[in-house]
Amino acid sequence: MHEKNLGLRNVIATGVGLIVATSCLLSLGLGASSIGVTFIISMAVAGLLNALLAMSVSELNALMPNLTGGLAQYTLACMGPFVTIIVMVGGYVACNTVISSVECAMFGNTMSQVLPQLNIPGSAYCVVLLVLLIIANLNGVDVFAKVQDVVAYGLIISLMLMGVMGCLHIGTGEVIEQPAVLASDFKSVTGLCGVAFFLFIGVEYVVPITDKVKNARVNVPLGMVISLVIIMIMQSLLVIGFKNYTTWEELAASTTPHVLYGAKLLGKFGTIWMAVVSILAVTSSVNTILSSLSYICEGMAKINLLPDIFLKTNKKGAPYVGILLIGGIMILINVTGLSTSESLAFFILTGCVFWMVAYIVTHINVLILRKRLPKAPRTFKAPFTPFLQIVGILGTVWMIWNIDSDPTVRMSIYKLCGIIFIVLMVYAFIWTKAVIKKPMFKAYPVKDVMAMENDLYHEYRKNSVKKGTDKYEYIS
Amino acid sequence: MKVSDEKLSRVEIITNMAKVEALRSELGKYGITGMTVFEAKGCGVQLGTQEYEVEKTDEPKLLDKQVVMVVMPTSGVDKFLEFVEKELYTGHIGDGKIFISSVTNAVRVRTGEEGKDALTEGKAY
Repeated sequence: MHEKNLGLRNVIATGVGLIVATSCLLSLGLGASSIGVTFIISMAVAGLLNALLAMSVSELNALMPNLTGGLAQYTLACMGPFVTIIVMVGGYVACNTVISSVECAMFGNTMSQVLPQLNIPGSAYCVVLLVLLIIANLNGVDVFAKVQDVVAYGLIISLMLMGVMGCLHIGTGEVIEQPAVLASDFKSVTGLCGVAFFLFIGVEYVVPITDKVKNARVNVPLGMVISLVIIMIMQSLLVIGFKNYTTWEELAASTTPHVLYGAKLLGKFGTIWMAVVSILAVTSSVNTILSSLSYICEGMAKINLLPDIFLKTNKKGAPYVGILLIGGIMILINVTGLSTSESLAFFILTGCVFWMVAYIVTHINVLILRKRLPKAPRTFKAPFTPFLQIVGILGTVWMIWNIDSDPTVRMSIYKLCGIIFIVLMVYAFIWTKAVIKKPMFKAYPVKDVMAMENDLYHEYRKNSVKKGTDKYEYIS
Repeated sequence: MKVSDEKLSRVEIITNMAKVEALRSELGKYGITGMTVFEAKGCGVQLGTQEYEVEKTDEPKLLDKQVVMVVMPTSGVDKFLEFVEKELYTGHIGDGKIFISSVTNAVRVRTGEEGKDALTEGKAY
């Protein structure tokens, strides 16, 4: 039994921690410079769609509580191992490892810009940060929560303050006069919903820490929705601040719009402050990804979709194999300079398509379990089912359709997605047929998926293999 | 023995020890004025096989359980059951069973009060 030592505060910190990242601030600048303050409407639509996802995730969590793998287990119980492997390996593990590496690289670039006199390469900053976060995560969830709280709340307060200062014209920089709205037509506003979606993506990362949360049935859904609301308010304030202190043209041209805004609002002090915000954002995001992905890998190993080695934990209970492997890959990507290449932004968008597919699958999971287990007690039920799930599915499909405003880039993303999808299908086929030897699309009974969460489940099967009394085979 | 004017139901909840305290602390909210808890041994469909065990046992294994019994007005049973189901639910095998049955009458020995009066403070003093 895990000790339940996390509260609503920690849930919000985790939710905000992953969602607000440096790349989000970049997307915010790009979106705002495209249509002006009407980008807030795009944000509201995207935020609402993510709130629907939070509802669906909360219901799944209520029906199958305290699972370390989260969406992997839900999908396994609804669609079987084949879809689960594709969604989780493509949509989460690979996609987030790359995105997180890019986050680190952006942090390194910001530091190199702010402190050019030190002549330290950006990748060195990244490696130091990653090593520190790996050590923190290896010390277990307590340290994770403490780090998460400090960085997430530091981040929220900083961005809120800078947003309010920009809105109230109380910065030391020059207030500029420019039109607040560049475009307000339906096509422009809705066309940027795909960009806005990235500002809120990742709220479901709360799920892996659920079994350590006190009164999880209330705190988890509430924490997720509060995280989204906080982010919506914070980013809306920043958009208005952008309008008052940075020209739309400069904002569009900047690769670090948050640093630009800081400089225009408060001069050198603002630049340093935004560098600090970058450190907080990256620390928060990478910390959350590192921790959550290692727990997701542990959860997938529990349901035999990844090798057993991911089940190993150290004395602090941290799944160290996942932490070291994912952290190591992130370091490798940064050291080789891969994350600084321009094409990686393209790969991020491709990864995000898989992430959105995972969101669609989540909504479908809710509908499947409502049909299969209509009377099972749910401590949280998503309202207006199936209407809201259908809206969530259609909205997310629409986001995928608007993943990039350039049709050529969009088609390239779809092509790459298709190739990755085929590769994942081959892997999922081999793993399902040769390793776990299960029907590809047959859903596991919920009770079996729940049983796999028990540590003794694996011990008993290993022991029975050693004794020769049974094959190492999973119940069907 | 007379039949009670108001319909009464007996709710028997078979669960594990860890859940009894949660039930006890919340029962007052559902107008329940008394409860009886007794230790028991038993098994369900799995015949006592734990969820992590490889093979289902052929011979029933009796596991330690707690039985919580309350008698209450039938009108409040649905709301009470909704609470109990959510409270006991973990999604794992062994969450428990709930049995609901009709009670013809209840008698408070000290005052001779019957039916709902026997389950509440009553009118006799």
